[in-house]
Amino acid sequence: MKRWLINVGVAAYVASLCLGIGCHTLKIGTSMHCAMYFVVWDMFCGWTSYSQRTHVVGEGESGRYYELSPGPWGDIKPFGRLGRQQYDVNGLNCISFARNTLKHTDHEPITRVFIVEERWNKKFNLPDDLWHRRFDEPKEKETYFSVRHVLDGECRLARSFPSWIEHQYQRAVADNPRLAADVQNSQPFIAVTSASGAVVNPYSPASLSTRPSSAPLGSRLGN
Amino acid sequence: MTASVDSQLSSPPSGLRGQIHRLLHDREVPYGMAAVRILLPIALLVPMVHRWIYARELFSTDGAATPLWVNYGSPDMLPVPSGEVAVALFSLLLFSLVSLSVGWQTRIACAVSFVLYTYMNLLDAVSTITKYTCIASHALLLLSFARCGAVWSVDAWLRRRKNVRWPGEGVEPDITDCAAPHRMLMLLVGMVYFGAAITKMQTPAFFSGDQLSSWMITNVNFGHPLGEHLTLYPALLVAMAYVTVVWEVMFVFMVWRGPWRLLMLGTGVFFHVMTYLTLGLVIFPMVCISVYFAFLNQNDVQRMAAFARRMKRRFGWKRPRKALTASTGSLAFLSRFPSPVVYAATALLAIVGGLELEYRLDPYGVRRPEGRYTLKELEAQQVLEMLRPTPKLRESDKFAGLEVGTMLVGGMVVDRRNHFRQGERLVAQCLLTPPHEDMYVSVNLHDADDHVLNRTGKTIEREMLRSNFNYVLPESLEPGEYYLVVTSRKKEITRRMITLLPADAPSVPTVASRPTASAN
Repeated sequence: MKRWLINVGVAAYVASLCLGIGCHTLKIGTSMHCAMYFVVWDMFCGWTSYSQRTHVVGEGESGRYYELSPGPWGDIKPFGRLGRQQYDVNGLNCISFARNTLKHTDHEPITRVFIVEERWNKKFNLPDDLWHRRFDEPKEKETYFSVRHVLDGECRLARSFPSWIEHQYQRAVADNPRLAADVQNSQPFIAVTSASGAVVNPYSPASLSTRPSSAPLGSRLGN
Repeated sequence: MTASVDSQLSSPPSGLRGQIHRLLHDREVPYGMAAVRILLPIALLVPMVHRWIYARELFSTDGAATPLWVNYGSPDMLPVPSGEVAVALFSLLLFSLVSLSVGWQTRIACAVSFVLYTYMNLLDAVSTITKYTCIASHALLLLSFARCGAVWSVDAWLRRRKNVRWPGEGVEPDITDCAAPHRMLMLLVGMVYFGAAITKMQTPAFFSGDQLSSWMITNVNFGHPLGEHLTLYPALLVAMAYVTVVWEVMFVFMVWRGPWRLLMLGTGVFFHVMTYLTLGLVIFPMVCISVYFAFLNQNDVQRMAAFARRMKRRFGWKRPRKALTASTGSLAFLSRFPSPVVYAATALLAIVGGLELEYRLDPYGVRRPEGRYTLKELEAQQVLEMLRPTPKLRESDKFAGLEVGTMLVGGMVVDRRNHFRQGERLVAQCLLTPPHEDMYVSVNLHDADDHVLNRTGKTIEREMLRSNFNYVLPESLEPGEYYLVVTSRKKEITRRMITLLPADAPSVPTVASRPTASAN
């Protein structure tokens, strides 16, 4: 009986490991259940050539701005020198970070919260001595900011935008006029009447191409 | 011992079935599992002790827990604990890991460690759960089914003290265990590497060295002293990438016995040390190397013991019997109490102590005499800079550099240099960073007075990350200084000075040996 149980246990365990490998290889069902995280071994599966930092900024009724992550009691540095919010690539968990900071602090009423992505080319991470061995020009780092999410005063998600990298990919594709024209010509026209009575096509490539890369909310965001 | 005799008396099946039967059901002294039991919790305690003070914030409803199951679309899969419960559970987890390492109530400690460690990790998808925690959860699960406390543990010591030696009874209690959990742990390591190899095979940029190079200049892990320097040798990264994948695929098939076992494990240790030096991984190598001890078998331990005995005889070492007796004697009172009762009382003490200490430390500062914390104000100018519309990507940011040399290996310039002889063929390799659009890039040759001598241009499609421009430096060119100038959209991106030497110049210095600008 005991041996039979061991055999069943071993078979189940080996089957779960093989399931993970199989699903990962064939790219099927890797996100069907949380347990898949324990049998899919996709370490270092992605990469990007731009470093990222995330800023969580609250705007008070007075128009002042406040840092909402890390909280004023200090930063959690889980894997080195960076704070916890820097490991939230999509910025969605920063919503709960902001909510937690507001819950445990005294502050004026907050009207909006911005989750902002900061990016720069990773070549600028090279130390100065290595930079001068690879490049003859001076090290002039340029950083790009992009609003990722906008929350209301209760930290409810009001609007999200594509990541800066996604936006750059869109720009790279839109840079080809023939392709952009093909995209425009192949879109079906769907008429939707908006509240103002104007007829708009929400799937119009023109509306996509003119979509701002940053949040068009109020004058502070450029609109 | 009885079980061992039973297993010998029952005739195992022959052939492949027999081999599998022996692989899983042979009885062995679980030295390997005991070594893992000692070392793995120590590795896990390093990050977990650091997180204890943040338990409320990381793992509770009174903080900013980020459960992994929410990402998988199951928001109610498991409950998220309150602040006090999270601190209590985390304190119990730390206690369990310590007791597991010393082997006190090993089976209970292991089961509690497995459940709490996995649950706590699941509660923080952003900054606690990673693939090394998954490997550790697997290892803790398998240790729970093994008799990993049979040797090198407090349990074993207590058992020996209680062992009544009647005439005719075995002097030592049975310390053997079924091999199945041990074999599963060994298999797990192999399967992890196999899966990692598949990930790499699905990432084309891994084999071109671009992915590795990118991670080596990424500062999201701990410091990586060697990583940035290795980016100067892209061909080496390509070679490392292929060696890594071959090793990862071979591991699960070759690690079981013979000289290959040592080769695979030795390569593994080197690989993990390099992940620290080049990528800044610290806990991952500690976990993996501690799990490697599962490959330690009974024969290895017997050989090491024999070696130690030889050394002892040769150098006349004496066991510090008195000191050992004194130290264990001071713990002898423990054996008078039923161990589970003492264990439960100590666990309770750890929980209550943890709660009290966390209350006094007051992580959110709600009981500070000066009142609750207030928010840190940011400079309006700084915030407005963040909120303005994103500017267009600077042209120079689409370029990762310009490599100049004469020889390509695996598509990489391997002899980076700035000095060339007349008549030599020069390769200027333009490196680009994704994303970029389809581009027309020129690499022009200028003389010392910046007059254009030659123009070479190419279209670089958006999926390309490097493009080569070949120049033959004719003997009609006078020796002297020249520039290779990269331009895109009529803008100069970068330039590299090269020195042309006479055709009969004796030696050509490489970039690595030239004085750097910062050194000057």
